[in-house]
Amino acid sequence: MCMSDSEFDVVVIGGGSTGTAVARDCAMRGFRTLLLERDDIASATVGTCAGMISSGLKYRSEPDIMKMCSTEVVHLNRIARHIIMKNPILTPFRDLSDVGSDMEYVESYSEHAEERDVPEMMFLTPEATIAIEPLLHPDVVFSVYYEEFFIDPFRLCLLQALDAKRHGAEIKTYCEVIGFETVNDVIQGVVFYNRITGTTEKIGAKIVVNAAGPWAPKIAGFSGAELELRLNKGAHIILDRRVVNVGISVKALDGRYIYLFPHENTTLLGTTALDTWEDPDSLVASFDEIEYLMRSIETYIPSIRDARIIRTMAGVRPLVADWKVPEGKVTRGYQVIDHENGLISFTGGKLVMCRHMAEAVTDIVSKKLGNDSACTTHEKPLPGNEADVDVEALSAEYGVSMHALERMRARRGTEMTKILELTKDHPEWKTTICTCEPIIEAEIRYAIREEFPQTLNDLRRRLRLGTGPCQGTFCTYKAASILSEELDLQGDDFLVDILDFRAERWKGIRPSMRGEQLAQEELAQGMYSCVGNLDQSDVDYDLKPWEEGV
Amino acid sequence: MDMECDLLVIGGGMAGLVAGTLAAEAGLSTILLRKGQSATAYSSGAIDIIGYLPDASEPFSTPEEGLAAIAGLYPLHPYSIIGYVDGIKPEDVVDEIVGRTRDTITWLKEKLKDTIAPLSGDFKSNIFPITILGTTKPTCLVQKTMYSEDLQTREDSVLLFTGFSGNADFNPSVAAKTYLEDRIAIGEPPRKVGHCTLRVSPFGKPYNVSSVEIARHLDHERSIEDLATQLKPQVEQLGATHVAVPPVLGIKTAMDNKKKLEDQIGAEVFEMLGFPPSVPGLRLQLALEEMYRTNGGKMLVGHEATSYIKTEGRITKVSAKAPRREMNIEAKAFILSTGKYIGGGLSGDENGIRETVFGLMTVTDAYHSAGEIIPSRYTNRIAISPEGHPINSCGLTLDPHFRPINEDGVEWASNLYSAGAVLAGYDYSIEKSGLGVAAVSGFSAAKHAIDFIKEVA
Repeated sequence: MCMSDSEFDVVVIGGGSTGTAVARDCAMRGFRTLLLERDDIASATVGTCAGMISSGLKYRSEPDIMKMCSTEVVHLNRIARHIIMKNPILTPFRDLSDVGSDMEYVESYSEHAEERDVPEMMFLTPEATIAIEPLLHPDVVFSVYYEEFFIDPFRLCLLQALDAKRHGAEIKTYCEVIGFETVNDVIQGVVFYNRITGTTEKIGAKIVVNAAGPWAPKIAGFSGAELELRLNKGAHIILDRRVVNVGISVKALDGRYIYLFPHENTTLLGTTALDTWEDPDSLVASFDEIEYLMRSIETYIPSIRDARIIRTMAGVRPLVADWKVPEGKVTRGYQVIDHENGLISFTGGKLVMCRHMAEAVTDIVSKKLGNDSACTTHEKPLPGNEADVDVEALSAEYGVSMHALERMRARRGTEMTKILELTKDHPEWKTTICTCEPIIEAEIRYAIREEFPQTLNDLRRRLRLGTGPCQGTFCTYKAASILSEELDLQGDDFLVDILDFRAERWKGIRPSMRGEQLAQEELAQGMYSCVGNLDQSDVDYDLKPWEEGV
Repeated sequence: MDMECDLLVIGGGMAGLVAGTLAAEAGLSTILLRKGQSATAYSSGAIDIIGYLPDASEPFSTPEEGLAAIAGLYPLHPYSIIGYVDGIKPEDVVDEIVGRTRDTITWLKEKLKDTIAPLSGDFKSNIFPITILGTTKPTCLVQKTMYSEDLQTREDSVLLFTGFSGNADFNPSVAAKTYLEDRIAIGEPPRKVGHCTLRVSPFGKPYNVSSVEIARHLDHERSIEDLATQLKPQVEQLGATHVAVPPVLGIKTAMDNKKKLEDQIGAEVFEMLGFPPSVPGLRLQLALEEMYRTNGGKMLVGHEATSYIKTEGRITKVSAKAPRREMNIEAKAFILSTGKYIGGGLSGDENGIRETVFGLMTVTDAYHSAGEIIPSRYTNRIAISPEGHPINSCGLTLDPHFRPINEDGVEWASNLYSAGAVLAGYDYSIEKSGLGVAAVSGFSAAKHAIDFIKEVA
């Protein structure tokens, strides 16, 4: 074991929305902070969500939570507006009896509408409804109109991590915690396996924050503590473009609400909610989940099957362990559990609350370590949100299309000028590598140099590389070449990177494969197997969790 | 508008153009319908016959060896269908298959000799050209511009990988590294490689320079000389005996350009196998079309077959639609060579796989009905492996005359033949057999169709 004498005030376990928020808060309050993530930033639960920073509409039975959600939306719009989009949403009804007697949500939503700078909830006539979204079923009798905010969940986590780094925190990805060093049952240090160097390392820690999401019980178990979660699987279907003008939320076949949200360049249809005990790493959407979503939305958007499905994604919600109630009735609040042995764990929570959760836990850390600096995470902007960006002027100055630059702006805000600056010495880096998004070579090189990706999948999370209709068919090998060049990889590692990325894309493509995606996959096979001969490659390829078994 | 002909070919890739050419050459009036760009134009331009058995890891060193193995293990593979000849002795089956394949390849090579895509290599052995990833793959024939005489055998060979600035299709430094590691591992030449990047800017911009753009640029006079001037010092510095370039040497003048480059730099130049949109794929497509037209074939581009009339077990007429007109084409026989999912011959959704023109029976890799399968169930968990995905082996199954059959095993129509990727029973991506099966099945289907038409007449 590689012993290290470094000592941290706080070690945060987990690089999701909560973990990165905690690392940021702790670092900003001056604690020596280390974040350990077993994979990459935003590689699990948060990476499979729709990115809605919800007003809490669904949780109207919990007014405190609704209020907190609304306040957090205001904070996020202050610190990260460059990665936030506002989506109008319609909830259409074909049958008055579907509405039910509970109309309280109109009031609870509207109560906090003003602070979020959105109109109060409105009722629309069938004509107005169809005018906004002509794809809707003509039998709609009325609809409810409201507005919600959506954030790029990958960028949020990454920006929180980068900001933590700027405030002195250390961020280590691909480092999996495998145990704790304890004295008298109190944690003194954290033991982890570094998957990049292949070594086991140990560092000292005064307090450990367990933000491991679905894996939180496992981490708590290493310290001898017990923690229970209710793990709940949610699957999405992803369509190849923005097929609707506004978000559509409808009552599904089982009476839950599902949604169809335009999201970045795609449309998300979700979600399902199934209690799960499976390994979160091997979960994929099932045929039943896909049909449940399609049939449910089909009752309101009859032509939905004409749309092209590009993939599915499935993730696990680490809910508070309330049992014997439907998933929808489990509190969406979070709990902070002090195991009184140096470890503090989270259960529950929502994306929108991540900053709030971090503030709560950092308050406890401050108290324990005797530090009274105030929380500023809701005031200080995340990287890129310092000022406005004039995309039009930049397009004229650098000769890169407005479309490409607007997409870049939505990821990076003010930071994009640093990327464009690179093209002064290297005009060839204006070449488009991922045509679906689109992404130019300069941004890929910048991300590799500044945002610590180790694999193409890490680049995908940072750039939305390979997430469009072709699912990386055309950019996988191009981006892999750039990554290899920047990281000076061996030839075998270049090929492994291609195989790893194809494997990850295939995980989501496979369950929903139909229509145009059959041709897309024939093409991908034609390129990587037939021409590239990678099916015959003898490189050291590790099977992924979802590839194991028969 | 109404037209009449002896043979109507539906689909204009390798299979359809080979079939049409053979029929036109035999003196039949032939019309070929093509909806859009074929998958052939998307290919690397190399003509694979058979590289591997499914799920096997040793490549065949000769196509003959591979065909014998296929015939023994996969009796319903399109190659194996060739062996079903009336009265043939069991011991002659493999010879029949090999003979027909050799004939097709010899014929094709001869036909393409004077086109923009003349072929190198021969039926006797598989070759292992380099791809733009720096890997190698087994194939049988490549275009002459893609052929290297002695790179992998000459002990003192030194290879220079050459890319183009702003062309993301190929990265010379990464390919060089990957290729060299592979050669060192197996202890074969070349033992030294290098890489360099040249500049061409067809439209004066130094970025987003596509492969097709470079190829078109190099078709212009004197542009190759400029390239040679840039390349020469690089070749001399490394002492390169061979230069690998991405497949961009020109669309019409690639052969001349290769020769001019070689003369001026004093090293052998060849194109690597590339990904779509591929210049050699485009060259091959254009060359095949030229071959078809030269032999008297007629072509309707942008026409999609939409309906048909079938009476007494025979198709009499096919209707085709173009954006501004509808055609009714009467023919004595028909060849369906519409391709797989890329070509549009097959389509699928969550309810099953369909043949798109006639609604013919589709089968899976195990020859069960594919009409009601869920596509994802016919895939493997691993994205890229020598097992491939059974969904890519779905398609039509044939009688010994290359006619698609029904559930009862009898031909669907007495005058409908089929060839190419629309056929079931092989996964070209893992076998490395795509254009080979297309050419040989196109050749065979046409032979049977010609016989049928002559009998009827």
